[in-house]
Amino acid sequence: MRRRLLSGALGVTLVLAGAVGCGIPDRSEVQTEQRGPAAEASWSLGRGSEPPAREASGSDAEAFVRNFLAAAAGEPDRAYDRVKQYIAVAERGGLQVKQGSEVALSVVRLTDDPVIEPDVDSMKVTISVQQVGLLRANGMLVPPLATETTYEFRLINAGPAGQDDAGFYVSGPPNVLLLSDEALRLYYQAESIYFWNSERTRLVPDQRYLSSAVPAERRVSEVVRWLTAGPSDWLRVGVSGLPDRTEMINNATGSDGRWEVNLDMPGADDVRLEQFATQLAWSLLELDGILEIKILNQSRKLVDLGEQRASNQLYQLDDSSARRFCVYEGAIHALAVANESIGRVPVAAEANHDVLSAGLRRAGSDVLAALVVSDGAGQRLRVGRGRDVVESFMTGPAHTVIGRPVWLRTDSDQPAGLVVADGELYRFDDRGAMRPVQLGLPGRVDAVAASLDGHRIALIVGGALHVAAISWEGGVPTIGPARRLATSLNRLTAVDWWAESRMLVAGAAGRPAIYDVSVDGALETRLRDDAGAEVTHLAAHPATPTSPLAATFMYEANGVTYRNNPFERIVREQVQEVTAPPTGVRPGNPTAPVFLY
Amino acid sequence: MTASPIPDPDTTSRRPGAGRELWRRLSGRAARVFAGLHHTWRRSLQVRVVTITLVVSSLLVGGFAYLIAGKITSILLDNAKTDVRLRLTSGAEYAAKQFSLYSQPQEAQLQETIDGTVNYLAGGDPQQTSGVVVALTADGVGGMILPRSSPAVDFRPLISPELRAAVAGGNVANQIQTGRLTGERDTKYLVYGSPVPTRFGQVELYYFVPLTLQDSTASQARATVLATGLALVLLLGLLAALVTRLVVTPVRVAARTAQRLSAGLLDQRMAVNGEDDLALLAASFNQMATNLQRQILRLEEMSRLQRRFTSDVSHELRTPLTTVRMAADLIFAERDGFEPSVARSAELLQAELDRFEELLTDLLEISRFDAGFAVLDAEPTDLVPVVHRVVDRLSGLAERVGVEIELDVPAAPVIAEIDPRRVERVLRNLVGNAVEHGEGRPVRITLGMDDTAVAVTVRDHGVGLKPGEEKLVFNRFWRADPSRARQTGGTGLGLSISLEDARLHGGWLEAWGAPGQGAQFRLTLPARAGDRLITSPLRLVPADATVSFGATSTESMLAIGPGPDGALTVGPANPVPEQRAEVAS
Repeated sequence: MRRRLLSGALGVTLVLAGAVGCGIPDRSEVQTEQRGPAAEASWSLGRGSEPPAREASGSDAEAFVRNFLAAAAGEPDRAYDRVKQYIAVAERGGLQVKQGSEVALSVVRLTDDPVIEPDVDSMKVTISVQQVGLLRANGMLVPPLATETTYEFRLINAGPAGQDDAGFYVSGPPNVLLLSDEALRLYYQAESIYFWNSERTRLVPDQRYLSSAVPAERRVSEVVRWLTAGPSDWLRVGVSGLPDRTEMINNATGSDGRWEVNLDMPGADDVRLEQFATQLAWSLLELDGILEIKILNQSRKLVDLGEQRASNQLYQLDDSSARRFCVYEGAIHALAVANESIGRVPVAAEANHDVLSAGLRRAGSDVLAALVVSDGAGQRLRVGRGRDVVESFMTGPAHTVIGRPVWLRTDSDQPAGLVVADGELYRFDDRGAMRPVQLGLPGRVDAVAASLDGHRIALIVGGALHVAAISWEGGVPTIGPARRLATSLNRLTAVDWWAESRMLVAGAAGRPAIYDVSVDGALETRLRDDAGAEVTHLAAHPATPTSPLAATFMYEANGVTYRNNPFERIVREQVQEVTAPPTGVRPGNPTAPVFLY
Repeated sequence: MTASPIPDPDTTSRRPGAGRELWRRLSGRAARVFAGLHHTWRRSLQVRVVTITLVVSSLLVGGFAYLIAGKITSILLDNAKTDVRLRLTSGAEYAAKQFSLYSQPQEAQLQETIDGTVNYLAGGDPQQTSGVVVALTADGVGGMILPRSSPAVDFRPLISPELRAAVAGGNVANQIQTGRLTGERDTKYLVYGSPVPTRFGQVELYYFVPLTLQDSTASQARATVLATGLALVLLLGLLAALVTRLVVTPVRVAARTAQRLSAGLLDQRMAVNGEDDLALLAASFNQMATNLQRQILRLEEMSRLQRRFTSDVSHELRTPLTTVRMAADLIFAERDGFEPSVARSAELLQAELDRFEELLTDLLEISRFDAGFAVLDAEPTDLVPVVHRVVDRLSGLAERVGVEIELDVPAAPVIAEIDPRRVERVLRNLVGNAVEHGEGRPVRITLGMDDTAVAVTVRDHGVGLKPGEEKLVFNRFWRADPSRARQTGGTGLGLSISLEDARLHGGWLEAWGAPGQGAQFRLTLPARAGDRLITSPLRLVPADATVSFGATSTESMLAIGPGPDGALTVGPANPVPEQRAEVAS
């Protein structure tokens, strides 16, 4: 029995020893398997330009100041580092450094050349500025917070005494990162990204600035980040962002026409994805190729960007259908300009009288016409709708002065428009009823203009340019909070949209002038420095992002109508279907030019 | 051990003794246990078979368990490695794609991208990871990139310098390491590293995958294998015990039956169950027993018949012999009146009739012994007068042949519980033989005794006995030299009857002889009837016998003992078992 026990124990021990001997070890040798992935041939789509370094300006103080105002341009994380390079070593610590999304550049427009006054051992620099906005790290240019109109700092010699070409250092710098509008134009690209309107029927462009320093490979990532961050504040009433808590997972990657975006998008169904794809396709206008949308690592959609754009047009516009009209002797007439086609007057002859100005719009195959006519009681708005030619009009109440009516380009069956009457903004419908619109802004409303998407308007209130978003509630347009834009023009008189994110503004810069102003007011282009007289009417045919033609506009100043491309006066002979006046009678001029598109 | 600082002389002096005692006891106990085990091992076939089965099956099952457990572990590890390798490969691809957007380590958002990448590779939500830690290091990029892991833990200790070197050298490598990353306890981790090529240098991606599941699965598998193996071993042992028992039990029964059979219980038989080999054995055994029984009974019957025949013949011969005797006596008495030749015939007739009568008497005596009718009529008797009586009665014969009979008898009486008639017959026979074969040399009769036995030796110096004849002399009708068979008297049954008489007393009758040195017979009888003899008071081999190794039996032992006059004597051992003709037991 004992023997049996003993052998049993022996067996158990053996089995135990055997079994215990072959578990997972606590530590093993390093097992080298194969060569890891080797670095591929370095590829890059190239890098954009960066602002010049401190030494680049040499001993040119003016150039140094210009460069200093551009130093912050680039990727926001390192903006403070770049600016610090310009600041005297001892004072670098004085600059209050902000991190991450807190980094914001104050975009200013120099209203005058910098004043540089030599002092004992330094130079005193005074710059007069107009605060344009605050460029946030996410590329958004928001209204300015600062109100300073001048900044003062000193330039000290960087080299030892006597050596001038070592450049300068800034001493006593402003405690903000300044960026001149010139640098903004040079080192940033204005990018349009698109958000769906509240009804998800239309894309509304929003503007962002992308630093040129960002390599092209990261473009997609940046754009998707902008999209996930949502629209600009002033647009929020009219557009909807991506679903809440939508975030991009890491960067968008890819190359050679194939890109990949990984998102965390709650409630992403096929409709949402399709809309997001369209949004993305338009926001990445420069890119062609395939973009793969992944939701939480699951591949959900392959988007051919070009096809997606082709099948989802931004605007129902036919460039060739645009026609020029004007008011000549109280009636609307077509204009013949160069070799453009001549349009048919969309107003029936019996209604085409006593017209002061007009707003025309094509809505599918219909034409919407809003005419400002004068009668004995004053001026009235007559609104009508017809096929090719509007025959019946409804007449609104009388006002002393009614400005040029503007149709809002919506897809709804109830057309609506805006018009300024007696310094107040009114909305009207296709029955001619006018209802006042509260803007919440002090001052007299001088002009209104609507963008192609029908969700943004430009206003001149109290002589200043404003933009606002429109939200449609039950087919009724409601104006959201207006954003005041800083322009170098004053005494603004007329405005119109002539591109997605650009407006034509007529005002005075010393003399009457017409400027092209970006939708945030930061970028200005002088189109007409000397309009001769105050511009009273401004009509533009906007360029869409895809249209090959340059935008065109016409304006009326001092009762005379001009056009651009090239700038020339539109003369009476170009007005169609008018009989020559009897000899001796001074012929009238075509006025109140308008495009039908 | 006592930790007392002051050594206690008592304990120190006593302790070694106590220790030795304990050790002695233990070793004694162990030796006893071992002896018991050894005994059991030798005695029991079942124990041997079961033990061997257990040991061999333990070895086999242990070996298999080792192989299987090892295989399971390696499969688990391989699977884990394959999984992690796939994850690592795709992870490295992903990371490479992510980092391809950057061309300088100090570029904005790179650190952010690294964080995002490790978070993404670790499964996004650090709270919901399965213990997997993903880490990125960039030691070769000039320290501008901080190593990151998700979840954020100190993973550096788990990357051994060898692994770091292997991965930094551009290899995909792995290692198992034990350490603590996320949990409370040390965990085994499979550390897998791969280089991630970027445009700003090489970044290394590491996966730390806990092997907890694999470990527990492996130990479960081990436990299962262990339990199964153990059960198998026990089962095999049980099976072996059962099978052996099946075989051993009938064998034991057979052994017992054979023992009983050999003890004389001839009607013992084995039970035959079934038709298997064991049944065959039992049947064969039974058949053998039956045959043996039949043969033995037949032989017994034959022996009985033979003895009966001898007895009957003796009896039947006695009656006519008596008549013949009476006639012969008459003729003998009248022989003086006959012719000399007839008178001589009458004398011869008388002598042969005496011998015939003697022969018949001896035959009857022998047949009585054979039939088991001989009864010991023991009474306390002084042997000295018996010896004297025998000598007296044979003195005539001795004088006739010229042999001197010497007596060495103690002065005190030698009392023993014997049958005096039979002892006297034995002595008469021995002394008569000695006188007859004495060849004129003296015959010495020695009587000796001790506490338990009495002995008489009869020594002659005749031709002696050849080696091997010591036993033959007790055979019936045996003669040393057939040529002189009937010259001397004697029936040839005397020593046989003497031997039977000695045996009836529970004593010994032994012979010693050597050619040319004469012979010595020794009768040893227990002092009290029924006692068992152990030694004899007298030596069988006489002291004056020449020691001749060639002459004595090769198996006999040498006895070295005190001789006369204090000298040492060397001679054949006494008693020499081989020369003890018959031992009554």
